[in-house]
Amino acid sequence: MSAQYAMIIDSSRCIDCRACVAACKVANKVPEGFWRNWVKQSLPVPVAGKPGRGHFQPGACMHCEKPSCVTACPTGATYKDASDGIVKIDPKLCIGCGNCIPACPYGARYRDPVRRIADKCNYCPERRAQGLAPACVDTCPTKARVFGDVNDPESEAGRLLRANTNRLVRVVNTKTDTQPHMYYLAATAPLDWPAEAVIRPPMAALIKAVTPGVSALVGLAAVGVAVMAGREFLAGKSKDHEPRDRS
Amino acid sequence: MAPQLQRHNGFDIFIHWFNAACWLFLAATGLGLIDNPALNPLGNGYPRVLRALFGSGGNLLLAHEIVGGLWIAAFLLYLVFNLRGALFFLREVFSVSPARDMTWMLKKQIQMTMGEKMLLRLGLDPHLPPQGFYNMGQKAFAQAAIVGSLVIALSGMVMVLSQLTLDSDRTILVAWAIMLHYLAAGVVFAGLLVHVYMAAIAREERPAFISMFTGTVPEDYARHHHLLWYEQVCGGAAPTPPPGALPLDPSRGAAPAPRKGG
Repeated sequence: MSAQYAMIIDSSRCIDCRACVAACKVANKVPEGFWRNWVKQSLPVPVAGKPGRGHFQPGACMHCEKPSCVTACPTGATYKDASDGIVKIDPKLCIGCGNCIPACPYGARYRDPVRRIADKCNYCPERRAQGLAPACVDTCPTKARVFGDVNDPESEAGRLLRANTNRLVRVVNTKTDTQPHMYYLAATAPLDWPAEAVIRPPMAALIKAVTPGVSALVGLAAVGVAVMAGREFLAGKSKDHEPRDRS
Repeated sequence: MAPQLQRHNGFDIFIHWFNAACWLFLAATGLGLIDNPALNPLGNGYPRVLRALFGSGGNLLLAHEIVGGLWIAAFLLYLVFNLRGALFFLREVFSVSPARDMTWMLKKQIQMTMGEKMLLRLGLDPHLPPQGFYNMGQKAFAQAAIVGSLVIALSGMVMVLSQLTLDSDRTILVAWAIMLHYLAAGVVFAGLLVHVYMAAIAREERPAFISMFTGTVPEDYARHHHLLWYEQVCGGAAPTPPPGALPLDPSRGAAPAPRKGG
């Protein structure tokens, strides 16, 4: 079985220090005003007699099983790598059309204002190449984020996933469930924030109307040519076309 | 050799074949740049093969962009060096005489697919209405090629500019450009199939095909296929051959065309 790198998050451990956010920005040189990861907050709701409890939820690109960003990309510049399950961006192929950005229900993508192409979490390949964990995982003081190949039963992530099969929470928008590979343990909050994946109108038109329309038109032209060729070369040419005196 | 009429000048012949080579390369590489199971008109294997051929998707994109840029540059140079020829071409291509040309178009399609006998069976005069420098089929394809090329070139430039200057809040322009680029290329490609068949494969139009190398067509071919043009060049009182065109045999009635700048 090929690898599926994923993150298992025990959000009850998160203290909202945002060291993960800072570490990610430094490790990946994320431009000012943009983030590859986040900590979402569920604000405490005071109930009479009891102190309210808040909850912090670390997150990032969820490297989904059915990534709607990949569906929205016309060129395959955004793709799910079959070898490791990581959703990646080919920076040489991406032209920054922006289709993938509203297609992500989790707001995990942004268009880099300097390189003018899509960008998001890629699980720090440079660090992993040197045997290090992604920056956010490495820096977390409470070890709320666990990273690894969940298809490898020996990995910490794999063991954690198997041990908690019945208590895993996926944060999704049910209208467009992309089957994230970001697993929250036991319970997490907030849960209502993922948006519906949006395939922008030009891409929707390309998928639903333009591509089948062009194929039909080219097919029609090919049939026309085949009929003409059949008439000319197979049916035997009559004297239809001898130049004729018009007078 | 049968008497010939000048039909295309050197610029026309060059731009035609340069364009053909560019289109072939750009269509092949452009199709390889689409890779999405919801689109892939030739299946999922085609983009994979093309990318392997070029080493990577990035190289494929770069090659497509460079050749696309050369294609646009060549047309701009063509306009600079052969403006009169280009204007003549545009005027001929976009002047449509509805009654004559639509009748021609309808009858020609019946004739080419079902034969002249079908025209007779339908009670139609098997003669096609006389045509000018271009027949309506050629005009229709040229119109599609011109409008399509403009859309392809402009949308292509939007896509290149996306990586160079475009702000993130304007990317919807790029998304529309991608859609229009494919639509225009697809429509032109459909026309191209018919164009290639009619010009290069069908025997009837062989002299026109040869004229795309030599620049000339036989007089009797011109009389049969482009009577109005033939009459203009050979029979009329005020002959107006295409610019840059010089009848090979001026004694046949056509005055030498005025040469640009001379």
